[in-house]
Amino acid sequence: MSSIRKRSRVVDVLLRVLPSVVIFALCLVAWELWVNIRDVPAYLYPSPSDIGKELRDEGLSLAVDDLRWTMTEAVLGFLLGSAVALFTGIVFVHAKFLERVFFPWAIVLQTVPIVAVAPLLTIWFGFTLTPKVLIAALICFFPVLVNATKGLRSISSQAVELMSILSASKWSLFWRVRIPSSLPYVFAGLKVASTLSVIGAIVAEFTGADRGIGFVIIQASYRLDTRLMFAGIALSSAAGVVFFNIIGALERLALRWPDARLDR
Amino acid sequence: MTSSGGIAIEGVSMQFGGSQGVTALDGIDLNISGGEFVAIVGPSGCGKSTLLRIVGGLLEPTSGHVYVGGKTSGQARRDVEFGFVFQQPTLFPWLRVLGNVLLPDRVLGRRNPNNGPNSKDIAQELLRDVGLEGFEDHYPGQISGGMQQRVALARALSYGPNTLLMDEPFGALDEFTRDRLNLQLLEVCNKTGSTVLFVTHSIQEAIFLADRVVMLSPRPGRITRVAEVPFPKPRTLEIRYEPGFAALAGELRGLLVGDDDIELAMNQP
Ligand SMILES: Nc1ncnc2c1ncn2[C@@H]1O[C@H](COP(=O)(O)OP(=O)(O)OP(=O)(O)O)[C@@H](O)[C@H]1O
Ligand SMILES: [Mg+2]
Repeated sequence: MSSIRKRSRVVDVLLRVLPSVVIFALCLVAWELWVNIRDVPAYLYPSPSDIGKELRDEGLSLAVDDLRWTMTEAVLGFLLGSAVALFTGIVFVHAKFLERVFFPWAIVLQTVPIVAVAPLLTIWFGFTLTPKVLIAALICFFPVLVNATKGLRSISSQAVELMSILSASKWSLFWRVRIPSSLPYVFAGLKVASTLSVIGAIVAEFTGADRGIGFVIIQASYRLDTRLMFAGIALSSAAGVVFFNIIGALERLALRWPDARLDR
Repeated sequence: MTSSGGIAIEGVSMQFGGSQGVTALDGIDLNISGGEFVAIVGPSGCGKSTLLRIVGGLLEPTSGHVYVGGKTSGQARRDVEFGFVFQQPTLFPWLRVLGNVLLPDRVLGRRNPNNGPNSKDIAQELLRDVGLEGFEDHYPGQISGGMQQRVALARALSYGPNTLLMDEPFGALDEFTRDRLNLQLLEVCNKTGSTVLFVTHSIQEAIFLADRVVMLSPRPGRITRVAEVPFPKPRTLEIRYEPGFAALAGELRGLLVGDDDIELAMNQP
């Protein structure tokens, strides 16, 4: 009985991902055909099979030597940016005045072009981990802040009245009502941030690094090594997808009640 | 002020949105003695929920005072004297049914007289009483509206409050379940001696449950009639077939029919 149940769940998952896998495969095939039929220069437009060979030969060393660093930067930046954003959201919800003063600055922070700030941070901190983590944190900050603030505000006046009838402390209201009702929003923000963090780390690496996927891509571009560039793109986006899905799995663990997840 | 446990409502008026705004209640005076069951009936929008909120210390009236057991309603609220069943169930979707009933225990801790190793048993027994045995582990999103309202009732009873404020708690229930819960509510009140202020749209329900029925007029809500219900307690469902019951119900229904209240008029027999 339970094995039937289990198998059907596996089949379920397969059926769910199958369409996107098929579309992806079809695109690769079309691309391969196009490169072969048009006979375009391979150093400009590598075919998927060329990129596949590149990944086979270089993938492991890229992953160990470079992707590891990029993802370390991305994850650290994600944690830092999200933590600061959650804290700021909590402050905003409890002090409307501070929100009025500082939220415009959060918008300014968001509209600052990351590509321009990254070299600046590299000048200040050198070829270290710090500027990459900061850039990744910066890019994660805003979506988490906006969602957390909205989530922390999403409690109904009825729920407040109920807690008031129970003579609950502000602390109790915060932990028992505000935090749980904010979780669906917070996770929606975290999922966006998880993908942005990888982008942030790579952009930061462009401006000054001696390792990392961003470094590999920029170096390869100087040599017109488009195969390696594509290999780097494929690896980093695969890592981003994995990161996104880890956050999604955490979300499923945390939000078990019906209709909790906002994007379902 | 009244004896311990009673409610004194003195000249309570409520205006929303400043002096140009809506007058929800106008000069409500009502004395309820300890252990009494009072039902409030009135047309939609006349201020019943507002009155309950004021008595429960959730809302300050524009003028007038409310004392509960000699305390101001705000003080009584801070001392957790009230059990409140809101018009909407107001359950927390992230807590299971049992978790919702246990919420007061978790919030109150040792301030809950039922707090202790068997507070879970008490919650489970209450769920059985409201007919929800076996649904302890469901989430509110997995049960019907009427079931949710019964969870809210169990939650309000779980910490043995002195005063119960109930805002149409059985509005979403079918007749049979409503009858059963009415009987159960009377039994609980008989056992605990709680004072009850009960809002309903059903005159039948009001007469069946209450010692006195308070009729409110359309906005602004004023008391048009306070009717003593002449049936002794404990009551059985059969009293509804006594001639006195129908006579009182007809009389009270007559008060509800205003000129502009077409819908109610059309329901007149
Ligand atoms: N917070 C508020 N702000 C402004 N007006 C309000 C507020 N709460 C209630 N009112 C107004 O006060 C009046 C009475 O509302 P209330 O909810 O007490 O009615 P009710 O008798 O409970 O109606 P129903 O039977 O439909 O539940 C309504 O006209 C409503 O518009
Ligand atoms: Mg109401």
